[in-house]
Amino acid sequence: MAKLTFRIWLLIIALILAVLAISPWLSLEKGVLIKSVEKNSTFFNEGIRAGMTLTSINSQQINNIEDYSRVIGSIFPLKEETKITIIADGNTFIIFTNETLKIDISALPTSKIKTGLDLSGGARALVKPEQSLSSSEMSDLIAVTSNRLNVFGISDVTVKPVSDLQGNSFMLVEVAGLTSSDLKDLVSQQGKFEAKIGNDTVFIGGKRDITYVAKSGQEAGIESCFQTDSGYVCRFRFSVYLSPEAAERHANITSKLSLNLSSTGYLDKTLDMYIDDNLVDSLFISEELKGKATTQISVQGSGAGAAKEDAFNSAQENMRKLQTVLITGSLPYKLEIVKLDTISPVLGKEFTKNLILLALVVFAIISLVLLIKYRKIKITLSVILTMFSEALITLGIAALINWNLDASSIAGIIAGMGTGVNDQIVIIDESISSQRESLKEKIKRAFFIIIGAFFTIIAAMLPLFWAGAGMLKGFALTTILSVSVGILITRPAFADILKKIQKE
Amino acid sequence: MEQQISPGKSWYDRQYKLLIVIPIIILIASIVYISFFYIQHNDFIYKDVSLSGGTSITLHGDVDSAKLESDLKLQFSDLSIRKLTDLTSAQPIAIVLESSAQPEELKQAIESSLGYPLTDDNSSTEFSGSTLSESFYKQLILAIVISFILMSFVIFILFRTFIPSIAVIFAAFADIVMPLALINLLGIKLSAAGIAAFLMLIGYSVDTDILLTTRALKKREGTLNERIFGAFKTGTFMTITALFAVLPAFFIVTGLPDSFRQIFLILALGLLADLINTWLTNASIIKWYCEKKGIN
Repeated sequence: MAKLTFRIWLLIIALILAVLAISPWLSLEKGVLIKSVEKNSTFFNEGIRAGMTLTSINSQQINNIEDYSRVIGSIFPLKEETKITIIADGNTFIIFTNETLKIDISALPTSKIKTGLDLSGGARALVKPEQSLSSSEMSDLIAVTSNRLNVFGISDVTVKPVSDLQGNSFMLVEVAGLTSSDLKDLVSQQGKFEAKIGNDTVFIGGKRDITYVAKSGQEAGIESCFQTDSGYVCRFRFSVYLSPEAAERHANITSKLSLNLSSTGYLDKTLDMYIDDNLVDSLFISEELKGKATTQISVQGSGAGAAKEDAFNSAQENMRKLQTVLITGSLPYKLEIVKLDTISPVLGKEFTKNLILLALVVFAIISLVLLIKYRKIKITLSVILTMFSEALITLGIAALINWNLDASSIAGIIAGMGTGVNDQIVIIDESISSQRESLKEKIKRAFFIIIGAFFTIIAAMLPLFWAGAGMLKGFALTTILSVSVGILITRPAFADILKKIQKE
Repeated sequence: MEQQISPGKSWYDRQYKLLIVIPIIILIASIVYISFFYIQHNDFIYKDVSLSGGTSITLHGDVDSAKLESDLKLQFSDLSIRKLTDLTSAQPIAIVLESSAQPEELKQAIESSLGYPLTDDNSSTEFSGSTLSESFYKQLILAIVISFILMSFVIFILFRTFIPSIAVIFAAFADIVMPLALINLLGIKLSAAGIAAFLMLIGYSVDTDILLTTRALKKREGTLNERIFGAFKTGTFMTITALFAVLPAFFIVTGLPDSFRQIFLILALGLLADLINTWLTNASIIKWYCEKKGIN
């Protein structure tokens, strides 16, 4: 066998990495994915969390959604307190409950390729603040919104800023498994922060009650981190300054409280913090504060994670969320939903099925055309192999950067494959043209043409990254990725393969 | 090939300047048509709701569109209904209703006509506000202009000579105008993705022009006619295989989203236009240029 050149090795390595990035073997795994667990339910308290893989309920194997529905149907609804044994992520959870099941599940991903909303189904809202926001105001808005969606227990949500060619900035909210009317309610609803003791409101978020929230320095930060059974926990603390009226309210309410008998040094009720009427945190009140009109209070909280760094980051994120809500109170900006879509997951399935058929047909037709033209199986095979490699490596990169492949991204990959074949035809035709020039010279000219075509595609697609709030970014990204993979990896390898074929 | 083209004055040598007349006539006809279209509609294209603002509801499955149309036509005067059929099985897949109305209004009217509620499983709803759509549209047009300018820069840097570069850019311009006229003639409503396809066309269609210009100017083998003819053989084959990659995508992926197919229809029309513009217009200009400059 002939020795493989560096460029061919590079192609082989890129292909292996792409397959690793896509991880198609994930489809062999058995179980169902837990998408969300209702906070404060028995299931949550026992330690079942979103992201775990559920494999068994009451010793019955759960391989897929059908198994899950069947087993759940036979257990629920519960009439009395019942023991349920759940195995998830290899851990056994024993739950005694008479609640309804408060877990949402979905099928396990079959690979690391993520599909966009238009293929997987879900709701999407493009939201425009009525006034133009600075980038820090925009990030506050996004923090408040994601916080709110999290508080409502909605998983699979992405909230991100987008801007367009005219300098408008938007917030894009994408949620899987939610209807557009739900999303509309959530996004347009005003975020409301309340701190209560019992049923009495002490202060609410916003400028009226809160004069200042410390965000950094000595008055805000991570205090300590410690190890627990299941990982690390980091605690944060920051100071909040209240207006005199809010401080007065605090004094009145706490003066009526008595001392806590079980934990000394604290009052018998906690300061409970609510966002849109959902409890997010409860703080113990030190007994020295009883009846005092204090304007400075210290808010604490924590974040957990498997590693210390994760716990630290999580604590910092939680702190930032809480600070944002305290400062902004409700959303300070009037929002307009300028685009609102709900896409049925049914349509995406049909589409994916058709795509596989499409790939087969395109490969078959192009093979046939090449075979008729060049009458050489080796050349035809190497062109098809190159096309396939380009698509695979592009998908691998998409999986690696967590890109959500939507329909337009896939159109970009197909268009990229089309230009790929064109380039290879240029290489073949240059190399088999008459014998006066050396092969090296001919390949060099072929690459001049190919590089020219490459830069014109890049130039043409570049404006799409911004136009239309980036809604067509996927098309531009995958086209550019696939032509770049072509020019950097597959085309040089193809030229070397062709040289070898010519020599034989 | 050497035998086919005689060293003396061949038919191509005598007639090549005339060949350019064909694409010029088509181009002028396209521009005139688009101009009339603009005067009539106050716009260059028919826009779908993603560009004009409004609601698009897709009903999945076999739905009686005639009943829906008669029920809704009175309430929504600008309603348009399209049926989508699976080409391989000839089964109806879905119908798409578009109107400038608000999503709730249209949804309610559809529900009362069908007699069942619209859910996630049987429908998709897309709504775009009119201001946003208008700004999307403007930006996409701006993107086409920017793309075209950037592409022109690349071509000038590549060839560093005026006339050959202008010839390529002119061919790319015609590659956009001709399909645009045809799309309007067919009455197709363009989506945002459709306009993105025109951008793609700018990049996609010039590779045969680059091939032609490179072979004519930089290759040292054979006569000019041989080089142009060699480029023609390679280039047309490139375009044909590209069509074979793009057309099945248009015919097979009849599932949704519908805008996906539009991308491929426009690319296919553009590639067809490119055959004319590269091998009649650009080839004639480059041949004339080479003869003037004494490049044989």
